[in-house]
Amino acid sequence: MAFKVVHYINQFFAQVGGEEMAHIAPELREGKVGPGVALEAAWKGEAAIAKTIVCGDSYFAEHEKEAKATILDWVKAEAPDLFIAGPAFNAGRYGYACATIAKAVKEELGIKVLTGMYEENPGADLKKDILIVATANNAAGMRQAAPKMAALALKLMKGEEIGASVVEGYMNQGIRVNFFEKERGAKRAVDMMIKKLNDEPFVTEYPMPTFDRVAPNPAIKDLSKATIALCTSGGIVPKGNPDHIESSSASHYGEYCIEGVLDLTPETYETAHGGYDPVYANADADRVLPVDIMREFEAKGIIGKLHNKYYATVGNGTAVANAKAFAAEYAQKLKADGVDAVIMTST
Amino acid sequence: MANIGNPKDYLILTNNPLIVECLQGKGAWTIDFRPELKFRDVLVTARDLVYAGHLLYTHPLSGSVKPNETPYKSVILSVEPHGMDNDHAIMIANAIEVTDKFQILDWSHSEQAMKDFRLIDYTLICGAIGFDALSGLSNKQSL
Amino acid sequence: MKLELGYIQIKDIQFSKECKVENGTLFIDPEVVKAFMYQDDDVKAWVKDFSFDIAKPGESVRITPVKDVIEPRVKVEGQGGQFPGVIAKVDTVGSGKTHVLRGMAVVTAGKIVGFQEGIIDMTGPGADYTYFSKLNNFVVVAEPVEGYQDHKHEYEHAVRIAGLRAAVCIGELGRNVTPDETQEFETFGIIEGAKKFPELPRVAYVHMLQSQGLLHDTYVYGVDAKRSLTTIINPTETMDGAILSGNCVSACDKNTTYHHQNNPVVAELFAQHGKKLNYVCNIITNENVYLADKQRSSDWTAKLCRLLDLDGAIVSQEGFGNPDTDLIMNTKKIELQGVKTTIITDEYAGQDGKSQSLADADPLADAVVTGGNANQNIILPPMDKVIGTLDYVDVIAGGHNGSLRPDGSIEAEIQVITGATNEMGFGLLSAR
Repeated sequence: MAFKVVHYINQFFAQVGGEEMAHIAPELREGKVGPGVALEAAWKGEAAIAKTIVCGDSYFAEHEKEAKATILDWVKAEAPDLFIAGPAFNAGRYGYACATIAKAVKEELGIKVLTGMYEENPGADLKKDILIVATANNAAGMRQAAPKMAALALKLMKGEEIGASVVEGYMNQGIRVNFFEKERGAKRAVDMMIKKLNDEPFVTEYPMPTFDRVAPNPAIKDLSKATIALCTSGGIVPKGNPDHIESSSASHYGEYCIEGVLDLTPETYETAHGGYDPVYANADADRVLPVDIMREFEAKGIIGKLHNKYYATVGNGTAVANAKAFAAEYAQKLKADGVDAVIMTST
Repeated sequence: MANIGNPKDYLILTNNPLIVECLQGKGAWTIDFRPELKFRDVLVTARDLVYAGHLLYTHPLSGSVKPNETPYKSVILSVEPHGMDNDHAIMIANAIEVTDKFQILDWSHSEQAMKDFRLIDYTLICGAIGFDALSGLSNKQSL
Repeated sequence: MKLELGYIQIKDIQFSKECKVENGTLFIDPEVVKAFMYQDDDVKAWVKDFSFDIAKPGESVRITPVKDVIEPRVKVEGQGGQFPGVIAKVDTVGSGKTHVLRGMAVVTAGKIVGFQEGIIDMTGPGADYTYFSKLNNFVVVAEPVEGYQDHKHEYEHAVRIAGLRAAVCIGELGRNVTPDETQEFETFGIIEGAKKFPELPRVAYVHMLQSQGLLHDTYVYGVDAKRSLTTIINPTETMDGAILSGNCVSACDKNTTYHHQNNPVVAELFAQHGKKLNYVCNIITNENVYLADKQRSSDWTAKLCRLLDLDGAIVSQEGFGNPDTDLIMNTKKIELQGVKTTIITDEYAGQDGKSQSLADADPLADAVVTGGNANQNIILPPMDKVIGTLDYVDVIAGGHNGSLRPDGSIEAEIQVITGATNEMGFGLLSAR
């Protein structure tokens, strides 16, 4: 029996129309439409597209919640062996829709998913969550993209082992997968050397992890006159989490006044962090944000004073770009408030 | 303050009894024998010493025996806290990270295998400090 | 320096009362090999007995635990002999003519330490991960004398010497055989080379040698590499056995003597020598445990790269963990001298492939070739015959209690397989 597939495409590839028709709400069609023809042909009877979902790109972008709900219902009812979206090539909103809906189908329905697009398409940001086949940057690449996607789709449906990204043609997910090259390592090294010597482009087989190292500022000369602030990615917030900082992948940070607070108690503070056992932080939040000790130092004159505001977010799974943006913003506030130094605590 | 690279400044942090049996009193070094520590705990203890300003003299991942294979680990640090070295702090942190990526395996090693793990760890340390491993073995003291 | 290698293709090995190479078949009397090995006093003192076996490609045979793999060669013209400073007397090798018994190897096996790894499967999925499954292997299994447990240094040395002697004994049979194929390798003096190839970029091979201690050593003309400063060697010297392995740990990424004799980086650089680059020489440097040694050795490597006016250097490493630091130190310092690098390594990215692959990293190492993730799981099906012993399979790196299953199959990581993720780039395995 052939595998059953549901295919997601946009208004353009369904030949409904271009930008002027991008507002259309999702519609469910029988069988294959547009690029589905090429996919089915490549499956040679081993899999067939039962339904095609067509959705306008603007509609998806502007009504993501509704579109998602409708599409998930349809896919759930169909219970396909695979949900395939696109390929979207370099169409930004289409790529975003393909990746987003594929991720939702995978995570909420537990159905295998696959999509395809150009590597610089914004939808490719989700390449670590779902398999995305790398395609050319325009629809002229359909002839290459369709068989690549079809072959990988069939492997997924058959439950076969998925090889390395360079072999199967999907975007690297940051997971190292072994495979056999055609040339031995030494030959590849010499070839790479020749390219490097000739200033030709080459691709390293293992991109080195990069660490963002910050050069320390000059030391504070006299702590006893300095204003010190506390900041944390450990999620310490006033009880009740008034700013609703997310327990993971935080979208914002909080600013809290600790004027006159000498000690963080279980009645007044807690952690919003979902990435560690909160018992000890909730019992005594000073363990993460040491207000008590800082007050003690302040009283003894070891430090000038503890700044009366602290900034907190949750570091758990939070995008580095977001974290950077938070800090860039509140660093200005700290500067404006005349803070000399910051103690940043993690968990 | 002892000079860097002077055996007087060698603090051999180890959970390997063979180090004590063969190297105790055979040089100006100090041996901190911590039999209760597991492989990872030795690295963590070394890390805390690095943070406190002690230098690393040997690479924490000495030897190709994998961290989830041998229970024994010896690291040489400075006796004196010469000041924290950033590179050493990164090196020891990386070593702990590497250790953590190896799965903890259910192994029941034969006494012979354990003995050999002790021997390998001991000889790596001997190589580092330029001590004749063989003569150490032949003049072994019992604990 | 010019060396001609004459390849004698060995298609089969047979035990025989008469020792000879005839029509691609090696006929060998194990007693002759044994007697030759026992001429060494250390072998006599520490090895109680040897047993011999032959393993051919495609046979249902598993060899384990493997200590070393050696290719039999014989010097037929020119200075010196095989394994100078260890078997032959110290004398500069690497010029003249050497005959190679290609397509075969001497494999030494047998227990040395109680956790020893190293598997060569001659068929099945494991065979894909080791080049040695493609060779006709003359396997020498050593059995230690009583009480060897307290003399591992001496015993390891004895088995190492025994393997080399077996290879020399067999290699000698190729002396008067006409090779099937010959190949010349030549490098030049510094100025001579620069004059000859004025337009070509100057490239050297930075060959890092495992040198951490017992079972982690490499010898150069008999000198323990950890006691040497970084130095220069002609590539052809390695073809005559100037560098040999005393490394028994981390089977997947240890360089056996066979790897040194057939160094793939040397071969591939020679393939482009005079065409796209000028292959200047090899720089050999060590991987010591003592951090000041690492500092000194990598400083020296970078210094030599500059002194030789190199444009590029290919760096290979050996082993796990500690050598990553040497690799990165070398690479960084060479790049900072304005010399371009490409490096060869392998990875320990965890069984799920999600962990950091190396123990050290630097953005200057921007051209990396990988031999694959050594933590990848594999199931090796049972073989009809085991040469050596399966006693250690449960206690080897990448194995675990129950690795050896009742039917004789093995579930472990590919790091148990000899040469699986070789860091000289010997194999086809890679990862992304």
